[in-house]
Amino acid sequence: MTLLAVFRNEFGRVFALRPVLSVMVVAAVIYALFYPQPYLNEALRKVPIAVVDQDRTQTSRDLARQVDATPDIAVAQVLPDVPTAEREVYARRIFGILLIPQHFERDLLHGRASPIALYADASYFLMYNRMSGAVSAVSRTLGSNVEITRLISLGVDPPVAAAASDPMPFIPVPLFNPQGGYATYILPAAFVLLVQQMLLIGVGLLGTLPGAETVSPRRRRLGDALYEAIAVVAGKLLAYLAVEAVIVTVYLIGLPYLYGIPRLGSVATVLAFALPFTLAVGALGLVVAAVLRNPLAVQLVFAAVGLPFFFLAGFAWPTEAMPLAVQWLAKLLPSTLAIDGLVDVAQLGASLSDVRAEFAGLWGLVAIYAGIAVVVEFGKRRRPAVATA
Amino acid sequence: MQRRDNQPPGFSLVFWREIVWLRRRPLLLALTAVLPLGLMLLLTAILSAGLATQLPIAVLDLDGSELSRAVIRAVDATPDDAAVLHVAELSEGRHLIVSRKIRGLLMLPRNLERDVFAGRRPEVVFFYNTQTFTVGNLVLRGANAAVPSVAAGIRISLRTEEGIPVEEAKAAITPIPVQTHALFNSTLNYVHFLLTALLPAVLQTVVVTTMAYAVGLDVETRHRFAVLRRLGGGLLPAMFGKMLPYTILFLSILGIADVVLFKYLELPLRGEPELLVLAAFLFVLSCQFIGALLAMLLRPVGVAVSIATVLTAPAFGFMGIGFPRLGMNEFAYGYGEILPGTWYLMARVDQTIRGTPIDLSWKPVLVLTGFVVVLTGLTAARILSMRRAAAEPAS
Repeated sequence: MTLLAVFRNEFGRVFALRPVLSVMVVAAVIYALFYPQPYLNEALRKVPIAVVDQDRTQTSRDLARQVDATPDIAVAQVLPDVPTAEREVYARRIFGILLIPQHFERDLLHGRASPIALYADASYFLMYNRMSGAVSAVSRTLGSNVEITRLISLGVDPPVAAAASDPMPFIPVPLFNPQGGYATYILPAAFVLLVQQMLLIGVGLLGTLPGAETVSPRRRRLGDALYEAIAVVAGKLLAYLAVEAVIVTVYLIGLPYLYGIPRLGSVATVLAFALPFTLAVGALGLVVAAVLRNPLAVQLVFAAVGLPFFFLAGFAWPTEAMPLAVQWLAKLLPSTLAIDGLVDVAQLGASLSDVRAEFAGLWGLVAIYAGIAVVVEFGKRRRPAVATA
Repeated sequence: MQRRDNQPPGFSLVFWREIVWLRRRPLLLALTAVLPLGLMLLLTAILSAGLATQLPIAVLDLDGSELSRAVIRAVDATPDDAAVLHVAELSEGRHLIVSRKIRGLLMLPRNLERDVFAGRRPEVVFFYNTQTFTVGNLVLRGANAAVPSVAAGIRISLRTEEGIPVEEAKAAITPIPVQTHALFNSTLNYVHFLLTALLPAVLQTVVVTTMAYAVGLDVETRHRFAVLRRLGGGLLPAMFGKMLPYTILFLSILGIADVVLFKYLELPLRGEPELLVLAAFLFVLSCQFIGALLAMLLRPVGVAVSIATVLTAPAFGFMGIGFPRLGMNEFAYGYGEILPGTWYLMARVDQTIRGTPIDLSWKPVLVLTGFVVVLTGLTAARILSMRRAAAEPAS
């Protein structure tokens, strides 16, 4: 069978087989709308906390008002004591408690340190960071005002007093995703993962549903069998590439645009990088089909591995923190290198030469998985010959 | 085996038939037992080393003074950051950040030391990358703690030089110190939260999809459905006989995973274990009924499994494992609300990390009970309507 015939046959099967069509096209539409929903608000704002104000003075009320005015925190309740507030935390109505102790104002006026306490739910790094960051910022601003006033009252020049309270300002500058948006961080990577997941299931189904066999019955020479095996694998991969051309473009260019995710890289670079990624996933799908051999097994296994793949990819959890064996396992999945490379290219504006290691690595995966697929196809062609000999 | 041939039809016949099936079908057993345990092992391995520390940063030191070196030493000494190399210019540092060789760049301006002591307030700038969220926040945390502490040292020394006692100087530079206490997760160990949360998410997908598959095999054709009914001596005993072996299996899986988490990885178990087990039981049952319902509503099995996957595979996002549910839009919040995993996760966090007092722990458990009641009713109604449909052509 020639390469072109395989291509035509496989391309037709994508649209003829309902389960394949639903995972490669229908699921692509559903996930595009459904998956990003939890993250679309981008940031966690106005985390509700309670204030326990034991001082009840002008200064303590001022502090509470300023905390409430930050974009990160909202003072949802004012409660008489910490145990009452703790129960509200357990009931998930608030997520932190700001305690302003008695004599807060008096100590401040007397020039003593006047501490306040924040009890914050630390289950989420994100939430804890927001709450402690916002309260610290307010206490620093109020504190330096107090400090400057004290220095000036001692007869120090106002500019000198300001410098003495903050002699070496620290300025953090986020280079990319400056708002620290959660969708901007997670969606570009998640879209790559979704493309991989749908293509793997689709190819796995194509390889296990009836009609995948393309072995012609007549006996043939070794060279012919090898040639045909290569043609079959190449023809199938090209068919997947043709189908994915639309889906990959939508997922890597269209959806980020629709969801307002900034893109610095050019469309051409993104698509050039997506080429070995798509081929590597397609080839891995052929291997998956050969291993699982049953369409339901393909569906059930891939339903379960989605979440672990997400964590292996190294963006939800930094790769640096994974054991070495897991890091190597992760590199066998096209998504790991593809997410690193595609995020760099699209979101950071890296050039192809900046990500040449990832680019070459993906072509390496194409070679490995396509090689295994060719060996499998070749084996299928040899077996009938052995049986008749 | 002989014994069962004479066994009267009923619940226990179907129950034992299912167990024999599980033994004979390696795929089903692999999917229901080996796969979830293997995936939990993998997730534990991924998270086992804890949060990343000593993230590499570069330094652009244009001053080269005693003070600039002190700032670099302070940043390097934090657990989060390690100053691994010096760069000569800004563009080089930016390039290294883009190619992910370094995670941040600390820039110390020319004449830093001279300007600080002259009161000109020179700025120390830290460039980092928030596109890689967690790493970006971590690397910033180190610099954010270290640079102000060096500045505080200067402010104290400026005062002690004037003859102010050290203690008084310390109090004077931070008039309002904030004492931050972490509730529940006092060691700030996010591995605990993630491992506690990921197990329900993985199991929810596995239970719903495999139940859609296992039940689907028995109801896919009218004939098989009739066989199941006859074996059970009635539809409801047949249904429960079919599902109970899986309930036991999934609860055992959950039990094994939890023993590993709580005994070996020493995750905190601060609440009531009985309540945790009850919630687990209700959670598994709810997921099983969702899978069974899908199998009875959709045919062939492949379609039921597909829909089960679409509903549950993205669920971990909606359950609020990565991004808290508090920050979600109404649709996402509402969808999270109708997933059993969301409520089981709450009950689980309540009884493990948080140690919620018992009188405040009932809400998620009651919601899960509600799920079981409603889903049992729907399943029973669907079975009865299927029997009516099956009876019609015969009459």
